[in-house]
Amino acid sequence: MASTTPSEGFPFPREYFFPAFFTRQPNLTIHHAQLTKWSSLVLAYARHHRIFRLALSAAADSDLFYNRQLDRRLAPPDIREVVDFMRKDGRAEYLQPGDAAAAGAGAGAGDVVLIYWRKPQEWAVLIEAYVDETAQKGSVLTVYELTEGENTRGTEFHGMDNGVLMKALNILVKRGKAQIFGSEDSLGVKFF
Amino acid sequence: MSRKGVGIAAFDRSRITSAQFASHGSSLRATNAQALETQLAVFRSLLQQFAATHAKDIRSDPSFRAQFARMCSAIGVDPLASSNSHNSNSSGSSVWAQLLGKTVNDFYFELAVRIVEVCGATRAENGGLIGLKELRDRVSKGRMEGADSISDDDVRRAVETLKPLGGSYAVVTVGRKEYVRSVPRELSTDQAAVVEAAQVLGYVSVSMLRDNLGWEVARCKTVIEDLMAGGMLWVDKQTKGEWEYWSPGVMADTDGGDAGP
Repeated sequence: MASTTPSEGFPFPREYFFPAFFTRQPNLTIHHAQLTKWSSLVLAYARHHRIFRLALSAAADSDLFYNRQLDRRLAPPDIREVVDFMRKDGRAEYLQPGDAAAAGAGAGAGDVVLIYWRKPQEWAVLIEAYVDETAQKGSVLTVYELTEGENTRGTEFHGMDNGVLMKALNILVKRGKAQIFGSEDSLGVKFF
Repeated sequence: MSRKGVGIAAFDRSRITSAQFASHGSSLRATNAQALETQLAVFRSLLQQFAATHAKDIRSDPSFRAQFARMCSAIGVDPLASSNSHNSNSSGSSVWAQLLGKTVNDFYFELAVRIVEVCGATRAENGGLIGLKELRDRVSKGRMEGADSISDDDVRRAVETLKPLGGSYAVVTVGRKEYVRSVPRELSTDQAAVVEAAQVLGYVSVSMLRDNLGWEVARCKTVIEDLMAGGMLWVDKQTKGEWEYWSPGVMADTDGGDAGP
């Protein structure tokens, strides 16, 4: 998954070309600034490539955390620190083994992180707006239709990760705006 | 040879003469002052005229603005000297404000606000020491499309306007580079030397300082640690050799698509 040129269309920010950016800074203030920059880099990168879940062990070798041009990389413990920082900000979440989102996750728990370049609440708002705009309140949609159907082509959540989608839908359920039924493979959603 | 009076009348005469000299002197002084006053008034009105005609140029052309500001300071008019009241009545505001209906004046104040913003936003990563050019670039980038361009001179002037606020904003020169400092911290001679050394390659290392400045290793380490504690250097431990200490200003110099250092 890692190419030698850190390009693939994603414009890396300047700090990505700053060698010391890849070393954990001992000064607390700087360290905080460093985490903030890493966090926004990860989010921008994930948004650009539409990455919803990140396997940390594999990502450590990807150009996100490994600048081959400079031969500098962010060490795995430091990556975890960035993820923890993002979690506090509500921008990332470890995949829990029992979690509904874990269904279909290949790698073990604790390694895969959901990256929220949009938070589930924000996704929920988008989906609700779509349902509203297309006058599908009261009708039933399958989960598959929402993310893979022809009608949602062009919307932001087309092709989105199922785990994140379920989190977003559950938020709507809690608000009494939707109802989920059906079994594992053929989930349907009714919107109100 | 005329013989001056030796009688008692001579005293009278000399008194009269000195009185005449005095009155003549004061009238000369008065005319002089009057002439100066007229000159100043003329000059002022000309300056005003000039500023009014060229207000657009002054606003839009950084070098023109710098020239105008230099002209003002050459004749002892501090264009930015604003009295305490901030409202627009003519006596209370600065020359800029009087001349240009506040627009140029506001230009500097707005610029100063942006400078404070940028300094605040970057303080965590550079310890409150930011290169003047970098600051200018960042400020320019944050401006609206089509806004007037900003020169280094403008930044210097805008930083000047911040002085009365006591926020320790100042332009400092280290080596050949100018910085804007936004923390109340003076660099020691040693620290300045290291900051200057880091301008060359973007980083320094202990052996580099030892060899080039002839310092003991302990001294090099102390200064580096001080600067690190102040947030003005970032450590890079992945050098496969000696650690390098990078000046965060480099982050701004190397552009995203660039090959880096």
